[in-house]
Order: sequence, then C-alpha cells, then structure tokens
Amino acid sequence: MKFYFLLVGLFLLSQCVREISGQAKSMESVPDLQNSMYRVVDGVPCVRLLNLSGEIGCANPGRDKVVAPVVRYQTGLDLARPSAILVSLDRMGELFDRHDVTVFFRISKDPGLSKNIGGILVESGTGIPNEFKGFSPDRKFPLAEFSPYQSTNYEWNPRGTGILWNTYTFPIFLLTNDSTPIMKKIAKENEKKTEGHTSNVAEFDLVMQTTKYGTHDSESCLKEGTCLPLGGYSVWSSLPPIHISSSKQVKPTILTVASMDSGSLFRDKNLGSESPISGLIALLAAVDSLSRVDALGELSKQLVFAVFTGETWGYLGSRRFLLELDLQSEAVRGLDSKLIEMVIEIGSVGRAFNQGTETFFAHTTGVSSATNATLNALKRAEVSLGSQNISVSLASTSNPGIPPSSSMAFVKKNSSTSGFVLEDFDAAFSNKFYHSHLDDPSNINSSSIVAAASLVARTLYILVNENKNIRSSVLDSISINGSLVDEMLSCLLQCDPGLSCELVKKYITPSATCPVHYVGVVLGEPSSTPYIGYVNDVSRFIWNFLADKSSALEKNSRSTCSQDCSNKGEVCIKAETKGICVTSTTRYVPAYSTRLKYGSGVWTVLPPNSSDPMAKIDPVWTESNWDNIGLRVYEVQEASLDRLILLAGIAATVLAYIAIAIARAFITKALKRD
Amino acid sequence: MTVAAGIGYALLALGPSLALFVTVISKKPFLILTVLSSTLLWLVSLIVLSGFWRPFLPLNSAASWPFAVLIITSVAFQEGLRLLFWKVYKRLEDMLDAFADRVSKPRLYPTDKMLIALAGGLGHGAAHAVFFCLSVLTPAFGPATFFADQCPKLPFFLVSSIIALAFATIHTFSMVIAFNGYSDGNKLDQLFVPVVHLVTGMVVRTCCWSYYCNF
Repeated sequence: MKFYFLLVGLFLLSQCVREISGQAKSMESVPDLQNSMYRVVDGVPCVRLLNLSGEIGCANPGRDKVVAPVVRYQTGLDLARPSAILVSLDRMGELFDRHDVTVFFRISKDPGLSKNIGGILVESGTGIPNEFKGFSPDRKFPLAEFSPYQSTNYEWNPRGTGILWNTYTFPIFLLTNDSTPIMKKIAKENEKKTEGHTSNVAEFDLVMQTTKYGTHDSESCLKEGTCLPLGGYSVWSSLPPIHISSSKQVKPTILTVASMDSGSLFRDKNLGSESPISGLIALLAAVDSLSRVDALGELSKQLVFAVFTGETWGYLGSRRFLLELDLQSEAVRGLDSKLIEMVIEIGSVGRAFNQGTETFFAHTTGVSSATNATLNALKRAEVSLGSQNISVSLASTSNPGIPPSSSMAFVKKNSSTSGFVLEDFDAAFSNKFYHSHLDDPSNINSSSIVAAASLVARTLYILVNENKNIRSSVLDSISINGSLVDEMLSCLLQCDPGLSCELVKKYITPSATCPVHYVGVVLGEPSSTPYIGYVNDVSRFIWNFLADKSSALEKNSRSTCSQDCSNKGEVCIKAETKGICVTSTTRYVPAYSTRLKYGSGVWTVLPPNSSDPMAKIDPVWTESNWDNIGLRVYEVQEASLDRLILLAGIAATVLAYIAIAIARAFITKALKRD
Repeated sequence: MTVAAGIGYALLALGPSLALFVTVISKKPFLILTVLSSTLLWLVSLIVLSGFWRPFLPLNSAASWPFAVLIITSVAFQEGLRLLFWKVYKRLEDMLDAFADRVSKPRLYPTDKMLIALAGGLGHGAAHAVFFCLSVLTPAFGPATFFADQCPKLPFFLVSSIIALAFATIHTFSMVIAFNGYSDGNKLDQLFVPVVHLVTGMVVRTCCWSYYCNF
C-alpha cells in the first residue's frame, strides 16, 4: 500500500518541469525575481503645465496609474481598447505633423477617441534619418503676442506644429536609446500574442497634484500650493567691474544679451543646442576673449553682459530684468536703464556655415543713429576678420521685424531701443528642430559659434572705443579660444562628460551630469542673493564663469571665502569648491512673471498693471507638483486564468480531503476486521 | 497575477497537506506537536544546507555537475538527518511505552506508530513546500506574471507549486516507509526512500521539461 502512495507522488513529479535552483536567468533572491517581473523603463515624461486660462502638457487622467497594453503605431491604427502606443522617431513627425495635428485636437477634445489612447511612448533613435524634414512642437511664430509689430501670422518657424501647447489627457513618455529596443521587443511580442492569454502592458505613473486637487489653472493651483511658477535666475555681469564706491557717474552702457533656456515637449530632454545655447556659448566665449583686453575700464562706455532664463515662457527673464531696472532694485545696482545705449543680442548662431562661409544676419531693432553706429562697428569687425570667411549682412527688409528674441521684450517696453539680434538665418529659422528634444549638438557647428563670438567680441571692442583710436593690432588680437568653445559644447550639450566636465567642476558642484536647459520652477523666495541650492546648475556656472572672467585683470584679494566677501565690490567665486574673493560686479536677477508676487510662503497673481502692457498678455506659466513619475512594463495574464488557478488550488485541497477521508474509512474498517 | 492567483498557488502547493492535517493530525494533540517539531527540524536542516552552500553560489549554470553535487550532498544530509530523527523517535517510543506500562494503559499500536511517522513526514513536506515555494510566491500576488525561459507556456509560479505539491506528497509518505523499514530491518525499504529522494531531485533539475512544456 505504501507503494501506492509513493507512486502517486512520482506520478505528480513526472509531470514536473524545472527545479527553481536551475534558473538560467541566475536570479539570486526574491527581489531579483521582482525586478525581472516588473521592469522599470527609462523614460522622459511630458508634464502638466498650467496658465491663467487652463492647462497644457500631459498627465494621467486621474489619481491612478495607467495600465495599457503596448501597441506599435501604424498608419490607420484602430484601437479596440485603451492602449499604450509606441511610435517611432520618424513616424512621430507624421503623427504630430501639422496635417495630423487635428487628430490630436480630436484626441484631446473627443472623449470617445481619447478613451482608447492610454498613453504614448516615443522611441529614440541613435541618428536622425536624412529624409527627416525636421520637427518643431512650438508654434510657427513663437510668442507672437509679445512681438512689437502687427504681422503675427508671419512664419518664423515654418516647421512648427504647435503640439507643445496642446492639452493631453494621457501620459506621453520619451524613451531613451537604451529603453527603445526593449519596448520594441515587447510590442512585437504583443503582436504575436493576439490570441494568447497574456499581454505585455506598460504602467504609467504620471499623476499630477493639480489633477488630484482639481486645480486646473495657475491662480487656483498657486493658492492651493499644488504647483509652482516657472522661473529661475538670470545672470548679469559688467566688464570691467563697476566701481560703485567711486564718485564716477555710471557710463553709457552697451548691453549684450543671450538666453539659457529652451523648450521641449519632454521636460528633461531639453538641450536647445542651436536655440539658444549656441548664442550663450558665443557670449561666454566673447567675454573670455574681451577679458584679456587691457584698459577697458579707461574707455568711455561700459560693457554689460546678461544671460536671461525663462525666455521660452513669455520672456520672463528679460521682462523681470526691465522691471528691476525700473524699480532700481538691489539686483541691478550699478545699472541705469536710461543709460543703456544699445542692446545686442546673440540668438541662434550655430548653423551659419553655408558653402565655405559663415553667414550671419543682423536683425535691427529700428533705425536710429545708434543702430547705424552698431552696424558700422559690425561691418568693421567683419572686415578685420577678413581671412576667416565670415560675412554678416543686414536682415531682409521684407521681414516684419526682429525674430522672436529677448529684444522683443526690450522693444515692446521701449520702442526706441536700438541694437540688433545676431542670427544665422534671415527670413525664417534655420533650426529644423526648434524647441524640440532633437535640437542636439549634431544640429550645430562649433566653427559657426566661434565665428559669431569673434564678430561680437570685436564689434563690442569697436563700440566701446567709439570707433576711434583703435589700433588694428589690438583689434586683431581679440580672438576666440576655440578649445574653450568645444569644451563648453561638451559640458552644456552632452551627457558625457556633461556638467561633470573640468570646466564646470572648476566652479560648481553640479547636481546632475546631463544638462537640461529647462527653466524649472522658482523654489523658495526669489531674491538677488538667493540660497545657492535653489539656483540651477547652468545659472550657477554662468555666474561663476562671468565673475571669474570679469575679474581677470582686476586687483583681487583672493582671500578664501565660503559665501560673502568682506571687501566691497568683491564676490566669492568657486564657493562650492574652494571659494576665493575677486573684484567683480556679477549678480543674479530672479526671473519670473511680473504678474506674480511672493509673500509669506505663498505666490499670488497680481492684477495686470496698466503701465506694463506685457503683463496683460502674460499667461503666467506654472508647473504642477507630483509625487512620483515612473514607467514600468510587465506581463499580465487574463483574469479568467487567475480564477482558474484559484479554483485548481481549492479543488486540490477538497479532492485531497475527500481521498484522505475515504482512505481513513477504508483503513478503519480493515483494522476492525483484524 | 493578483491575490486570487496567489492564493490559488499557495493552496495548490499546501492544500493537500492542509487537508491531511485537518482530517488526521488535528484529532490528536501529540501528532500536532510531532508535525510542528518535524517542520522545525527540517526547516533548520534546509537553512543549514543553504548556509553551507552560500559561499559557492551562484553556481555556473552552464555545466550540470555543480548542481549534481549540490543535490547529492543535500539529499545525503537530509537522509542522515532522517536516520537521526528515527533514533530520537525510538527513544521517545520507549519512553512512551514505559509510561503506558506505569499507568497500566495499552502500548503504542502499529497504527499509532505509522501516524507518528506520517506526522513527521507531513512536517518534512510542509517544510519543503514553505522553503521552496511559498518563499518565492510573494511577487505572484501582484498584477504581473512570469514565465521562465525554459518553460514559456506555464507560469513559473504554477510550476513551482506543482513541484512543491509533489515533494510534499513524497516526503510525507517516505517517512512512513522509512520508519517501517528501520523498525522491521527491511533493507529494501530503507534504501528505497533515499534513492527516490535523490532520483526525484536530479530528475527535476535536468529532465523532461522540454517534452512537457512545449505542448
């Protein structure tokens, strides 16, 4: 009888398959098993942004995670149930193309159709195919409402689709180069499994606090504390430092500006190589070359350099700078807005290479004697650079005015502002990927940036000398350090070495390696001496770089410091590594909407002021808070199978109970017989 | 795979053992004590074995022989422990019989002895099921399922539960056969149990899965 029992056991065993200890995947613990089952996928999300009238961007529709099977995008795709659509890089252009953008309007406004789009996953590619005509999610005339001229339907950005400004009721993630093949494999497995009982699903965690608390515009979400306003810290520096203690009057100032923030549908994949970082690098390189020129302080004009942030979101940096100048606040002490003679802006200058020559265009902000003087200086600089195949010409008169740039804010404030915007395009952007995650370093050329920087540096020198008594030997000695430009390209536009490069680590301790040129949100109270932890890496780097360069030819005490310096006119640079005190006038200026006020821990929206026409059109952008953002994939089986397994377990138990009861009765009877 | 499936897997592995416990063991408190102490003993033996083998892990899964050594040593250790368990049981049996004589009550019947052996075996089976199946079952209570590369048709947890059920059954009845063999001096029975234990351990590691899995 005992053999019968054992036979039962052996029979069961012969149906068996594989011992746990022999797994080829070499899992060593239950957490390993958990990680194999639930795979975390690297993805960059598109987040929820709000303005005074509503929301844009993406979020989960409710408080729960979105779980949807992964499906590959094909033209004419028909969805039977809510799915996560995996769309490839070149197909994304087609999907988000201006002709199909109505599809998305339908999707976001038609609840029936939007029910079947659970989420979207965008693939990344290692190279952009040549036939790819370009992709720009911004509008055809970005920030047209801030233009100082009327023709707001002029197409500065002909490839613009405007999808950046749509409201999506589902999550959208951009996959990385590593996670894209994983997702493609999963989608392919799903296609094979159409009859099967299991499917691979993607779980999106993009729950936004504004959705949870039902605050769907900036004013209500700021009041509830479920969002924070977009903004950051702009930096300005004067070369040479302004000696405020002396009784000398403020000199007429030549302001050179660039911006440091870009836009993208995906919050953390935001490089903006051509627009505007090429201009930023050109400005920094120009400062570096001018810092080596002797006796700039003895000249009759003052050079001031400013780098604004938040320009993508309604010229937050430049507008706030102008407001601070009006208020003559601490942040802009030493500057006088009435003495700013001209504003020279370095825009997108990375794609000027055209048939052997670097060609630039000067878009002037109006006709005046000051503007003419600026253009003459520019021409003279071009001539002095004669051997280097650089040409600069006036922008076409058929353009309605200056292209979207910080100068628009200056001109709108004061229509008699003179100056120009230096760009590498004439009638329309040469950047095929304006404000997209594809505007990466392959889109620009370092020689173009060097050329722009040379032009600007020499033009500024000529202007500051008021075009007289310029020794051509000094002018010709003003040259750009090409290796500095290359280093800045690798620090500010690549992940390797990224912000961990030598140049950046000399000045600051970066919080991340991959640079992201998104303006971010204003943390804490905005002030001209902010808590350094609330200022983002790029702003801190620019502040330290400009302070270091502007102090190069000054008398510096070089005493060690950690935060402030006791000597007047000195600032503490490299404070995060080994701080030293140098003579420099370099300041942070908070960049946030002029319609916002911070008081006792709460942001309030001010009513529009009649003296500030730009504040009336300011949408007041805020970004929702969130707890976690993540993307996971795993395999699920049909609910019916789960129930079947439960039934099998219960059946095994019940059958065993019955068998044992029968056996016991049988044995008891047999024993009684004995 | 959700809570329903998780409970299903647990019941599949331990349900019959639970049924046996409820119908037979729970009636006699002494048997409950035997099951508990047996479970403890065999769990400790498995922990000692895993402690011994820990420095050698992870094993090179390309070759089969490291696994063969692992299984042979583990089976040998457990069978040795079974012998020890039987010797302790013999001492206990003598003590119980002496006590019964003192209070003029009948000695242990053969069926009582078999029930004690069954309880010991049940403890061994339960320890195996808990150690090898229940300990890895926690992820099964979540929404995802998992398929091992070698068996793409059956969920991994189902496979693990079925193996645990088989081993629980084998261990439960092996103890009865072994105790019978030791007390009768029957060499065949004494050899039968370790051989079956070793063979099933090796079979589960190497054989037959491709045939049964690709249906």
